[in-house]
Amino acid sequence: MTENIPSSTNEYVHATEFADLALDIATTMLASGAHCGRITRNLDRLAKRWELNVQMQLTFIGVAMTVTSEHDPYHTVTRYRSTPPHSVHLELLTEFSSLTWKAADGDLNFEQVKNETERIKKIKHYSYWSVALAVGFSCACLCVLAGGGLIDAIVACMGAFVGSIVRVFIMHHKFNPMISFVIASFVTTMVSGANMVFHWGPAPEAALATAVLYLVPGVPLINSLIDLIEGHLSSAWNRALFGASILLCIAVGMTLSISLLGLNNF
Amino acid sequence: MTSELLLRILLDFVLAFVVGFCWGILFGSPKRILWMAGLLGALGHSLRFVLLESGVVLITATMISAVTIGILGIYCAHKVHHPPVVFTMPAFITMIPGLYAYRTMLGCIKLTDPAIVQKTPDIMVQIGHNLMLTLSLLAILAIGISIAALLFRTKSVKEINFGKKQKVKKAE
Repeated sequence: MTENIPSSTNEYVHATEFADLALDIATTMLASGAHCGRITRNLDRLAKRWELNVQMQLTFIGVAMTVTSEHDPYHTVTRYRSTPPHSVHLELLTEFSSLTWKAADGDLNFEQVKNETERIKKIKHYSYWSVALAVGFSCACLCVLAGGGLIDAIVACMGAFVGSIVRVFIMHHKFNPMISFVIASFVTTMVSGANMVFHWGPAPEAALATAVLYLVPGVPLINSLIDLIEGHLSSAWNRALFGASILLCIAVGMTLSISLLGLNNF
Repeated sequence: MTSELLLRILLDFVLAFVVGFCWGILFGSPKRILWMAGLLGALGHSLRFVLLESGVVLITATMISAVTIGILGIYCAHKVHHPPVVFTMPAFITMIPGLYAYRTMLGCIKLTDPAIVQKTPDIMVQIGHNLMLTLSLLAILAIGISIAALLFRTKSVKEINFGKKQKVKKAE
């Protein structure tokens, strides 16, 4: 074992222990919508604190990581872990960022960082009712921005609200996530398509187009391009494929409902 | 005339604020900085609105407002002690080209019906136009978000200070 532990950090952390913690942090951040550059920076910061060196291969579905001691090349470990189900939760990114800064400044020891990680992983998302309300309001506003009237906005709000609740319900029963996107977009378009059938509002197409926007995978698509800019190519393709398949699912759901409603002139 | 234009800009600002704020909730941004996401989204979207009204092309207008928001985001990150992605991501979503992505998908669906293809022969051109707009706007938004990595040589936003003297800052 290493004898030359430097005096600046009088704490010795084994590479295996560190790899377990780092994989925990990396997979959680990946699932909550962090781009690869952010994960690499955070973990580099954390590893330097205990004089370790981290090399990672980040993809969308898992993380392979090698941790080596800066003083002893034989003190090394390589691990792989796949990510939990993806759901965007940006608060975790803030928490992990400030945690790694605190650890890098030497304010926390290894045990405290471990406990903090456990606490951060348990942070709850907003309740699905408030998410559904928020989604409804924002789709209504997008509808007005796209040139819809007040009635169109109300219809878009209702469609997005109902669709969002339905999606949470399907996800709760552990169905395939892609199916949940198809059904949510189907339900939303059924509600907003009624506007088009009965001609309630002045611009029914605007409601039809904007009500499904809450399903658009903005975070994976933007992250994909950020990864491309920063050179994480495999992750960039993974994310782009994920985003594109969600877009395809939305299209399938909309087509189903448009043809059921018999809207040929869309 | 002028007051009517001002009113439209104000309406655009308010609507984009709500969109940014609500998208922050959907993405699980911390409660304390939801207003910041809304404000940046509103600023970006209304800036783009003003540029579009004064005759700038859509892609250029989006580029200018995306870069503005990206740089403002770095400044705000120091004020609120949060990484910029947490509130710029919802802010940028207000400008996401959802409508063009939707038109691309709808065009592809129409392509499966021979009757529609015969009626509108330029359908492939429409699809290509909407697809290219979607991709370019997405790329521009990504540039805006990662502006810190592109313009500055430091690895972390925390080490960027606009010409100020270096001072040791600690997260509370």
